[in-house]
Amino acid sequence: MFNYIARRLLQIPVVLFVLSLVIMGLMQLLSPQQRAAAFVTSDKQIEHLDQIIEKYHLDEGFLVQYRLWASEVLRGNLGFSRISKEPVLTTVRKRFPASMELALAAFVPIVLVGVWLGTQAATHRDSFLDQALRVMAIVGWSLPTFVVAIWLVAWVYGGLGWFGIGRLPSSLLIELAGGDFRRYTGLFTIDGLLNGRLDIAAEALKRLVLPAAALVIVVSAGIMRVMRSSMLDELGKDYVRTARAKGLPEKTVVYKHARRNALIPVITMAGPMLGRMIGGIVVIELIFNFPGLGEWAAKAALQLDVTTLLAFVMLIGLIMATANLLVDVAYVIVDPRIRYE
Amino acid sequence: MKKHIFTMVALVLLGGVLAAAPRDTYVYMQSAVFDSLDPVQAYDGASIGVIENIYETLYSFKRDVPGAYEPTLATSYEVKDGGRTYVYHLRKGVQFHSGNPMTCRDVEYSIERILVTMPGDSGAWFYGDALTGYGNDALTEAKKKLGDSATQAETDRFLDAYWQKIEDSVVCDDLYTVRFNLAGPDVAFFAKMLFTAAGVVDSKWAIAHGAWSGTKADWKDWIGVDLRTGYLHNHASGTGPYRLVKWDDKNIVAKAFDGYWGKAPAIKNVLVQAVEEEATRLEALRRGDADRVDVNDWATVNAKVRQMAGVKVWSDPAWSPAGAHVVFFNFNVQGENNPYIGSGKLDGNGIPRDFFSDINVRKAFAYCLDQDAIYNDIYEGNAAWYTMALPPTWPGYDPDIPIRKLDLDKAEEFFKKAWGGQVWKKGFRVTITHNAGNTVRQAVAEMLKANIESINPRFKIDVVPLQWSDYLKAARAKSLPVWPLGWGADYADPDNFIHPFYHSEGSLAKRQNFKNPEFDKLIEYARTLVRPDQQDERFAIYRKIGRMAYDVLPNVPYPRQSPFIVTRDNLQGVYYNSMVSGDFYWKDISKK
Repeated sequence: MFNYIARRLLQIPVVLFVLSLVIMGLMQLLSPQQRAAAFVTSDKQIEHLDQIIEKYHLDEGFLVQYRLWASEVLRGNLGFSRISKEPVLTTVRKRFPASMELALAAFVPIVLVGVWLGTQAATHRDSFLDQALRVMAIVGWSLPTFVVAIWLVAWVYGGLGWFGIGRLPSSLLIELAGGDFRRYTGLFTIDGLLNGRLDIAAEALKRLVLPAAALVIVVSAGIMRVMRSSMLDELGKDYVRTARAKGLPEKTVVYKHARRNALIPVITMAGPMLGRMIGGIVVIELIFNFPGLGEWAAKAALQLDVTTLLAFVMLIGLIMATANLLVDVAYVIVDPRIRYE
Repeated sequence: MKKHIFTMVALVLLGGVLAAAPRDTYVYMQSAVFDSLDPVQAYDGASIGVIENIYETLYSFKRDVPGAYEPTLATSYEVKDGGRTYVYHLRKGVQFHSGNPMTCRDVEYSIERILVTMPGDSGAWFYGDALTGYGNDALTEAKKKLGDSATQAETDRFLDAYWQKIEDSVVCDDLYTVRFNLAGPDVAFFAKMLFTAAGVVDSKWAIAHGAWSGTKADWKDWIGVDLRTGYLHNHASGTGPYRLVKWDDKNIVAKAFDGYWGKAPAIKNVLVQAVEEEATRLEALRRGDADRVDVNDWATVNAKVRQMAGVKVWSDPAWSPAGAHVVFFNFNVQGENNPYIGSGKLDGNGIPRDFFSDINVRKAFAYCLDQDAIYNDIYEGNAAWYTMALPPTWPGYDPDIPIRKLDLDKAEEFFKKAWGGQVWKKGFRVTITHNAGNTVRQAVAEMLKANIESINPRFKIDVVPLQWSDYLKAARAKSLPVWPLGWGADYADPDNFIHPFYHSEGSLAKRQNFKNPEFDKLIEYARTLVRPDQQDERFAIYRKIGRMAYDVLPNVPYPRQSPFIVTRDNLQGVYYNSMVSGDFYWKDISKK
């Protein structure tokens, strides 16, 4: 098992290298003037386009540009982000906690809600509850994330006046700008507690509710559907019939035996689910004014900021590769019959 | 532990306790992100809207009086030597945010810093034009003048001469008198000095934090440098009523400066946030989480904002935007295999490169542009009419120049005359491009398409949205045949419009290959009229150019949205100055 994990870890740099080649290669399909879009934000700067192209080597060949970039990366310098107007590493350090906080706030509810609703749907098969949950799942899976997000902003935040947008309210942002608040993790919910500031932790938590809810609605729907199918499959198997025949309580049959086995396909979904969640986070961050990595990457894509895109793609590649490895390890935990050589 | 969790949950559920900003705090949610807080580097409205409250120039715009200025860091100035020399007398007792006193040395440093760095993507070019005669940084100019094969010795000699021009252009006569020696008379120099790039920087503080030393010793290291990598990019020490506390990604926090030389502002804390999603900004305004937000257009104002309680829309028919929108025609389209001109011939499947050089074609297109629809439907009647490419309230604007309104009969008449009747007989196909995402320009393009195609079935128009990256490529290559575009003022002088739009070396006229010696002669002559008593003559020339432009028709101006400001209704003192990037200075507002 450890050999397997070690081999998988060694594959990660290779994956990242290939990703970087692909992104850089794709950018070469654009002309230097098009790639200058990240450096030129106004029509008035067009007269200086040649100067900018020369300065940032935008007219150099693929190998020259890749070499320049790679040599900086090996020195620990991921370059300068035209979007955030600062070094890429600085932006990642600043924005990663916002995305992480959002992802953590959403991940557990996504799994719990999806698994629980799927179980309910399966154990109440063909009932009104089952039908309703299936419709909800289809709607949730079909809805674009930005639609759900805008609805929540308009109806819940704007209409009802509940919760908030952004990471913190203006008064706390102003206070924190000049104050002594120590950022241990970058997560305001946790740092608020560590600084003894319950108000900050509470405000941060309040502002996570709606964006997390948006992610739960769209992502847990897929889990729910898979869980339902998988549960139905398990509930129809001989061992379940045997367990019932032995007189085991229904709750034990369902939650202790059948559900555990039904989780395997759900774990398989973790990869696509993570992908959908990352995609959702990009939109969520834009709409809820969360300054995270997703929003940064979205702007980089629109403005062809190659440096930022490369960094983001490599980061996502790292996350996905690690997630896939964790999924494989999870299989072993859930199903002891699975072994890796 | 349980008690803490309970307290937190209670705080979460209790909701809006911390929602509305207090009376001494102003929260502005704007649509655009910040580029840089370095006054030399910043060339975008979002950044300049912050900088103009932190740094000050020698003179500044006077509240809500268009075209009026007031002494700020200077108390008076003189123009000498036929407009080649400007002498400013500085205000005494002014302090920087760092505590350092302001003297002439800081002014000298600030302006020389522009001339040394000259970032290509900034507004530095018009200071270079005025003071050294160079519109580019030293190395770029060296390459232009000497070519690629210049020796190091030749380049060094050129650079030494360039440095000498920088040194000679700004001189301190004494601690509180600064003299600018221009490369030549510049009618717009005073106006250029109001732009934020001329904001006075604390030289001692800047140098102490690694900026250019202010001397020849290291000036070459700073030529053409991207100032976004420097300390002043996200730190500031100016003389303004507000000092920068922090720029944290999309949030800028500023506080009132206790040592400000002028009147203490009522607003003590300012938070400016970049929130790109309009729906989010509007809900924040409704909730009171923002005191002011950007709203895209009048349609949204009328449909949504006016229904909100506690919100005010500020507007005035007298307000005029500091910009112009026109439809450009390219007199000689460039580019091999140009996709925008089809076959490249007048055969019904394309246009020849000089298609728009025929005045009849331009007139026909002009009569197909429904100006009333733009005014009434797109802007819902909240717009300014344009008779020429100059803001309507600016000197030199002539409101009596006629505007060609939609007239398909006249359009048909001119199409039939165009190219000896060949256009009508054979038809044509051309692409009208617009910036992707700009709905007004899209509407203008679609309108032209619909009207032109309705005249003759052989006329075909393709409307293509261009991403910014594609637009850059095409504009640089001068390959766009016809396109709508806007231009915002850099500095408050009509020359900033007249030259780019109508002079053959103007940045916009070049893109459309428009060359007219009569226009050039008039504009160049106007630039020599630098004395105050010559200004009426200068503005009369601009009005004449406007009338000539009606006949020659290098472009078709169309209405531009009237400005408005949307705030909570407890905000007071709001006004609109078209040359103030944030519309008003923070120091002038308060909250009830």
